Amino acid sequence: MSANEALIKVVDLKKAFTGVHALNGVSTEIKKGEVVFVVGPSGSGKSTFLRCLNRLEDPSGGHIYFDGVDLMDQKVNINTHRQKMGMVFQHFNLFPHMTILKNMTLAPMKLQGVSKADAEAEAIKLLKRVGLGDRANAYPSQLSGGQKQRVAIVRALCMKPEVLLFDEPTSALDPEMVGEVLSVMRELANEHMTMVVVTHEMGFAREVADRILFMADGQILEEGKPDEFFAHPKNDRLKAFLSKVI
Amino acid sequence: MGEVPYMQALTDRFYLNFIKDDRWKYLTNGLKTTLLVTLGAVAIGILIGFLVAIVRSTYEKTKKLKILNVICNIYLTVLRGTPVVVQLLIIYFVIFGSVSINKTLVAILAFGLNSGAYVAEIIRSGIMSIDNGQFEAGRSLGFNYPQTMIYIILPQALKNVLPALANEFIVLLKETSVAGYIALEDLTKGGDIIRSRTYDAFMPLIAVAIIYLVMVVTFSKLVNLLERRLRSSER
Repeated sequence: MSANEALIKVVDLKKAFTGVHALNGVSTEIKKGEVVFVVGPSGSGKSTFLRCLNRLEDPSGGHIYFDGVDLMDQKVNINTHRQKMGMVFQHFNLFPHMTILKNMTLAPMKLQGVSKADAEAEAIKLLKRVGLGDRANAYPSQLSGGQKQRVAIVRALCMKPEVLLFDEPTSALDPEMVGEVLSVMRELANEHMTMVVVTHEMGFAREVADRILFMADGQILEEGKPDEFFAHPKNDRLKAFLSKVI
Repeated sequence: MGEVPYMQALTDRFYLNFIKDDRWKYLTNGLKTTLLVTLGAVAIGILIGFLVAIVRSTYEKTKKLKILNVICNIYLTVLRGTPVVVQLLIIYFVIFGSVSINKTLVAILAFGLNSGAYVAEIIRSGIMSIDNGQFEAGRSLGFNYPQTMIYIILPQALKNVLPALANEFIVLLKETSVAGYIALEDLTKGGDIIRSRTYDAFMPLIAVAIIYLVMVVTFSKLVNLLERRLRSSER
C-alpha cells in the first residue's frame, strides 16, 4: 500500500440513536501514517464515530473500508480486523486480574500465536519505551492513572496494529498526568503511526494533528490542517466552539 | 462423688447409641452418602449454573440466544419457586417412578438441578457486575465473545462471587438432609435410624448436628483462605 492510499475509508456512516450521540452520514478518509484528530462539543457523535470504526458500536448504515475490506459486510470476521485496529479507552480498561505483562501478552499469544518468550520480550521492550520497564509484574491497581494509560497504549501496540484509535485518552486523568500520556502519543505520531484521536486537548491537537475534523450533530462540519482550522475557521458552529474552548 | 453415676449413665448411653451393634456405622455410612450427594450435586449445579448464567448474560448483553434464554427462565422460575423436597419426591416417584434407579443418583440429580438454579443467578450477577469496558477492551483486541468471556470476564466474575458460591454450597450440604424423604440413608437419616432403635433422641441427633457443624465450619475456613489468596494477588 502506498503512503497516500486511504487506510480507512468511511462512506455515509449512520448510527441511529434516540437523542444525542447519533451519526447522520459521516464520510472521510484516513491515510496511512496520518494523525487525525476529532473534536467537537459533547454529544456531537465523535466518540460514536470512533467506536463505529472497529464496530464496538454497530452502525445502522454506510460503509467502513479498512485495508479495502468493507467492515459492514456481514460476512467479514470483525475479530481479525480488530486485531489490526488498536483501541485506547478513556477509562484504560486494563484487566485488573492480570499483571501488566500478562495484560500485554495475552492477545498476541492467544490470537497471533506469538510464543511466550517473544511476546514478553516485545512487551518489555515497549514498557521500557514508555518508562515503565520496572512495572511488568505489577497489577493495574498499583499504577497511577497516567501509568495505566501508558500501559493501555502499549498493550494495543503489542498487536502491531495498523491504526490506533484513541477515545478521549486523557479525559479521566488528573491534570498532572496528562503530559506523560500525550508525550507517548506525540512520539507515536512522530513515528507515523496512523492514529485517530477523539480529544478535548485543543493545544495538543494543534501541535500533533495532520488533520482535524470538527463534528457536531453527528456530522463532520469542517475539516482542515491545524493552522487553517484554528486560525481561519469557516463554519459558524466551529467558530462558536473554538471561542469557548480556547 | 455424685458425678460418677451420672458419668456412668452417659457412657452407657454412648455405648448404646454408637458402639452396640456397630451403630456408629449408620453415621459414617450416612456421612459418606451425604458427602457423595453433595459433591455430585455441586458438580451438576456448577455445570448447569455456568451454562444458564452464560445464556442469560449473553442474552442481556447481545440479545442473542433468545429461545435458550426463555427455556432458562422457565427452569429458574420452576426450580426456585418450588420446595426442594417436592422436587426430590417428584423426580423419585414421578419421573423415575416406574423404573428402579439408585436413590443416591436421584438425590444427586435433584439437588444438582435445584442448586444449578441458584448458582446460575449468582454467576450471572457476577458477570453483570463486571464493567462493560472490560468486554470492550477484550473485543477491541480481537477476542471473540467466548474468548473474552473465558480470559477476561469469568475470572473476575468468579472471584467476585466466590463468597456467595461458597455460601450456596454450604446451604446445599445442609439441604441434602431431606434426602430421607426418599428413604436414602444419609447422615441425618442415619442418626434418625439410631434414634428409632435406641429410643434415645439426644445422643444421635446431637452427634449428627456436630458433624454438620464441623463440616460447614471447616469449609468456610477453607473458602476464607482461598479468598484471601485471591485478593492478595491484586495487591
